[in-house]
Amino acid sequence: MTRFIAKRLGLGLITLWLLSVLVFFGTQILPGDVARRILGPFATQSAVNALNHQLGTDKSVFVQYWDWISGIFHGNLGTSVATRTSVSSIVFPALWHSAKLAILAFIIVVPLGILGGVLAALNEGRFRDRFISVGGLSATTVPEFVWAVALILVFALWLGLLPSTATAPPGSGFFSQVEYLVLPALCLVFVLFGYIARMARAGTIESLDADYTRTAVIKGLPYRTVVRRHVLRNSLLPTIAVVATQAGYLIGGLVAIELVFNYQGIGQVLYRAATQKDFPVLQSAVLIVGVVYLVATLLADLAYSLLNPRLRFESAA
Amino acid sequence: MSDERKRQVDAVRRHIGEVENDLVDELVAGRIDRREFVRRGTVLGLSLSSLGVLAGCASPDVTRVSPPQTKPPKPGGTIRAGIVAPAAALDPIMISDEGGLAVLGQTAQYLVWSDKHLNLLPVLAESWSHDHTGTVWTFKIRQGVTFSDGTPMSAEDVAATFNRLADPAVGSNALSNFDGVLSKGNTKAIDPYTVQFTLDAPNGNFPYLVSSDNYNSVVLPKNYNGGWDKTFLGTGPWKLQSFTPNQGVTYVRNPRYWGTPANAERSELTFYSEEQAQTLGILGNQVDVVAHYSVSGGRALITNPDIRTTQFRSSSHRQIHMRTDKEPFVDKRVRQAMGLLLDRRALVNGLLATKSDYGNDSPFAPVFQSTNPSVAQRQRNVALAKQLLQAAGKGGGFSTQLLTLTHFELPDLAQVVQNNVSVAGINLKLSILDPGTYYGSSKFGTSPWLDSTMGITDYGHRGVPNLLLTAPLSSKGPWNAAHFKNPQYDRLVARYVAALDLGAQRAAAGQIQELLLDETPVMFPYFYYFLTGARLNVSGVETTAMGHINLSRAGFVA
Repeated sequence: MTRFIAKRLGLGLITLWLLSVLVFFGTQILPGDVARRILGPFATQSAVNALNHQLGTDKSVFVQYWDWISGIFHGNLGTSVATRTSVSSIVFPALWHSAKLAILAFIIVVPLGILGGVLAALNEGRFRDRFISVGGLSATTVPEFVWAVALILVFALWLGLLPSTATAPPGSGFFSQVEYLVLPALCLVFVLFGYIARMARAGTIESLDADYTRTAVIKGLPYRTVVRRHVLRNSLLPTIAVVATQAGYLIGGLVAIELVFNYQGIGQVLYRAATQKDFPVLQSAVLIVGVVYLVATLLADLAYSLLNPRLRFESAA
Repeated sequence: MSDERKRQVDAVRRHIGEVENDLVDELVAGRIDRREFVRRGTVLGLSLSSLGVLAGCASPDVTRVSPPQTKPPKPGGTIRAGIVAPAAALDPIMISDEGGLAVLGQTAQYLVWSDKHLNLLPVLAESWSHDHTGTVWTFKIRQGVTFSDGTPMSAEDVAATFNRLADPAVGSNALSNFDGVLSKGNTKAIDPYTVQFTLDAPNGNFPYLVSSDNYNSVVLPKNYNGGWDKTFLGTGPWKLQSFTPNQGVTYVRNPRYWGTPANAERSELTFYSEEQAQTLGILGNQVDVVAHYSVSGGRALITNPDIRTTQFRSSSHRQIHMRTDKEPFVDKRVRQAMGLLLDRRALVNGLLATKSDYGNDSPFAPVFQSTNPSVAQRQRNVALAKQLLQAAGKGGGFSTQLLTLTHFELPDLAQVVQNNVSVAGINLKLSILDPGTYYGSSKFGTSPWLDSTMGITDYGHRGVPNLLLTAPLSSKGPWNAAHFKNPQYDRLVARYVAALDLGAQRAAAGQIQELLLDETPVMFPYFYYFLTGARLNVSGVETTAMGHINLSRAGFVA
């Protein structure tokens, strides 16, 4: 197991380095120049040149890459060229905001999705199955920003039950913060429910048809025990992989939801950095989202191996 | 006029200059109305009391605060405003966006305030005057003003502020306004409360360049060396309570403020990256005011009974340039035809829900006082356009590319233009770019904006048309996307810029307007209104077309 983890970590580091190269040189080919973007199209060229010099964006790309990557190894993510503040002070609060939203969404959607999927599988072909499968799929196909606007209209503007923004006022307590995050989290629930439920349903149906399930039934185990101990344990394996890949999306891919709810998550930071050509922020934010993806998939692999005795025994051997 | 009134008027006229007396003559002759008289009088530095006497009314309508929108607000409370998120660092010297200047204006102040009607009102300057050529402008600075850190403000701070902004090595965003107008070192403190500006050339509208219209020109301490976003240092009615980058700012009353204390106890600015979120924010009662919204993004607010929209004219507009040195637009008849094919009425009614003035293919917006109203408005005339195209050898139409950017209603405008001109067989191939790609380096040769055969560009509000006359249209203009080179035009603009009295400005403006209608290097389809939304229980909010929001008199009505 240790070897497995070490191997995954090694591969992860190589992936991150490749990502750093890709994102750095990829951002360099974006059109326009940094100072021009900050000062606007109507600033004089002398003002643009002066600012580029102050920011160091007139150096060669290789020097800029080295400055950036060596800074990361020293724990310094650099300085935002747009806001002139440290990248850490922008990226980490945003990461925390995204994590809060992702955790709340996960807490709601993972049990719901699995429960829905298992219920659908146990009622395969019947109304419940169709309701859950078709309903979940329909909810997933609606873009997240449409859900966002629809939920705001109903719960914030018409009913006045919940705030139309996701950012709680400074100094808000835990429950107040949760109240502000409910609507964006619900958007994610609608988007992800169908996906997770489908995977759970497929896994459960496959397990229900498996020989070991038949054997367990034939040897007289109660149906509930068969489902809990034999079916669920096996059916959840593919679902875990799906959930893990969604972690990365939930942390870095919620640009539309964050914009509609005016929530300062990492998605909005990425969007703003890309539009402002704020390379230090963009590069570091992408790297951090990459780390989140890697950690999430690593954790998924670990959970997978814990649930799958074959993998556990193989790694022990 | 009573004898007493006549004596008062004569007394004032004896103490004012020749240009100011010419302005009074214009009023007496009925060539300008009182409002225009007051506006131009404020530019020339006439005091409010003098304007009151001369305009024949005791108190002209040029108070610091706009007329109340409803009942006067109760003191106290927290007023919450939504603004567009600042695009870059909150550095007064570099700020170039509406969100940034809205934040700047809460704690920092200008010598002069340009209100929504473009009247110039004294703030940190108490009065100003000019020499007979309009080259030397002298400003008397208000006494007893301190920065929020307790440091007294003096003429030296003012001089240092403007020399810093005019210094090319500093790279301030105000350089585009000062280029060819004010050079580094030419602002001097004559005594502790007098500042003198010696301009590079005569300029009859110079006070606008030290006003809130030139939004980088807030007065900062002479030793200012960056780091404004840590202190929000200024002389204004608010001082910083807390600032969360990308989220917002909260303010409390500045106990050292020299003027009337702010009405509300606190104010909050919430930053919105998307207009839709801002709209939902005010509808969902997350903010009390949205400083600015567009028709394209905030249409839901216009008719909402819970929201009161304040609208006023601005010079914000879109320019549709046509390369005068490149086919198919070399022949001016083709450009004229394009202007005649444009259905301005449909654009204003459809795209802008009537919240706009018509453009007449010159930068002279109806909001500008110097705009010559005798120049006829260009109307859609398809038959005449076809005749002109026929005469220019383009009777069968032509095909070219129209570039624009993803910004508010611009893509929609491009489609309407495409549709408008198609009736004459003209095929415009649309290319919609992101802003970064569209503007490119903003230098000729490496900028789709400046190099394209035809393009649509957004231009923000200016208090006077000077910059709009020079940068995008003069022969050496850095934003001259039409590549329009016309020595006669350059001469007329120089004459207009140097003119001190309104009559001379209007005369030059009329000639410029006629020339631009004849040449049509650029189409100006409309000048859209500035819209502010507030919940019904809010009063006293003042905004300007530049994007400033003054919350110092704002509050809640009972």
